[in-house]
Amino acid sequence: MLTLYRPGSGWLHRLPAGPKLLLVLFTVLAVSLLPSHWWTAAAAAAAAALGYALAGLGPGMAGIRELGRQVHALRWVIGITLASQLVFMGPEPAVANAARVTAAIALASLLALTTRVTELLDAIERGLRPLQRLGLDPQRIALLLTVAIGTIPVLGRRANEVREAQRARGARNNPRTFVVPFLIVALKHADELGDALTARGVR
Amino acid sequence: MTNPSPLSIRGGTRQLDATGLARVAVFAAVVAVLGLPGGFSVAGGVPITVQTLGVMLAGAILGPRLGALSMAVLMALVAIGLPLLAGGRGGIGVFFGPSAGYLLGWIVGAFVIGLVVHAGGRKPVGWRTLAGMLTGGILVIYAIGIPVQSMVTRLPLGETVMMSLAFIPGDLIKAVTATVIVMTLVRAYPRAFARVWASTPAPAPERVR
Repeated sequence: MLTLYRPGSGWLHRLPAGPKLLLVLFTVLAVSLLPSHWWTAAAAAAAAALGYALAGLGPGMAGIRELGRQVHALRWVIGITLASQLVFMGPEPAVANAARVTAAIALASLLALTTRVTELLDAIERGLRPLQRLGLDPQRIALLLTVAIGTIPVLGRRANEVREAQRARGARNNPRTFVVPFLIVALKHADELGDALTARGVR
Repeated sequence: MTNPSPLSIRGGTRQLDATGLARVAVFAAVVAVLGLPGGFSVAGGVPITVQTLGVMLAGAILGPRLGALSMAVLMALVAIGLPLLAGGRGGIGVFFGPSAGYLLGWIVGAFVIGLVVHAGGRKPVGWRTLAGMLTGGILVIYAIGIPVQSMVTRLPLGETVMMSLAFIPGDLIKAVTATVIVMTLVRAYPRAFARVWASTPAPAPERVR
């Protein structure tokens, strides 16, 4: 299953999902709200480095290496932010804002890196329980999310089948000729899935 | 097999039934799969994402409520750390980045598209579908995305608007493509919409196609 999770046993890994979510949100928000000055860039970089170094992602420099991977993944966001702000606003806000946004996104990634999807699903179900009074059904929401997660690899395979079938007929790979058959396959799958859920007592 | 009876999308209970739940989950997965690498012909060397095409189709095919819900499900999955956005992005961090507003715009956009395309419970027609794609799929998404982007990056609104104009041509092409796809489905696979349409101009329900 595709996820961003990296197995580990550091303190952040062991922290329960709920408090961890709050901790990460608080840190990210604090970084996001830094003003746009030269020192912001240094502060944001320091916050990100500190966060990754102290998260207990692995021995030695493993945390910093992970931060490097995250920043590399964000190179487009950084590039576009930096370039547009350099053109319109000058070097100080450009560097400060690019660093601020990058650090915020990188710090937020710590949640996904250290928490299994199933743990977060459980946390969502628990967190939504108070809303039951408002007519929200946390279990149904958790079921919906779980079914969607399970459906992604299935549809990924179906998409490849559709592509291969087209290639076999010599059709060019373009969105329009792919999307219609793929949608029909997907919606038929939805019909079967609905029947399967009904058969298992979901109404 | 499934009976093609209408889903109780509006009438009766507001609770999501199993068929609706399956369609919502599947469409969230469809949009996720459209963002996976696997390759579409790149236009002039620029990799294009057809993920926003999926957003437009969600509203048009599922209707306002379920379409918006499927996008909310996708956002929830992204937030809990699945790399489902084009380019393998994911995690709660994307909601603190420059594209946060556009992502929230997907939810509202799908809703608006569903409203326009299925206005009055009538069968989708070309011009109304295109109008829905343009308002919900472009106008609404930009109207939410641009101010948030400006807020996150602190680039003034005017300059952010100018930057965003670069994406308009691609989005116009996607709106037209989505319209063509929806009209193809109306003719070739009307069951996709899982609803009974109010009186159509030329009532021919029994015609075999």
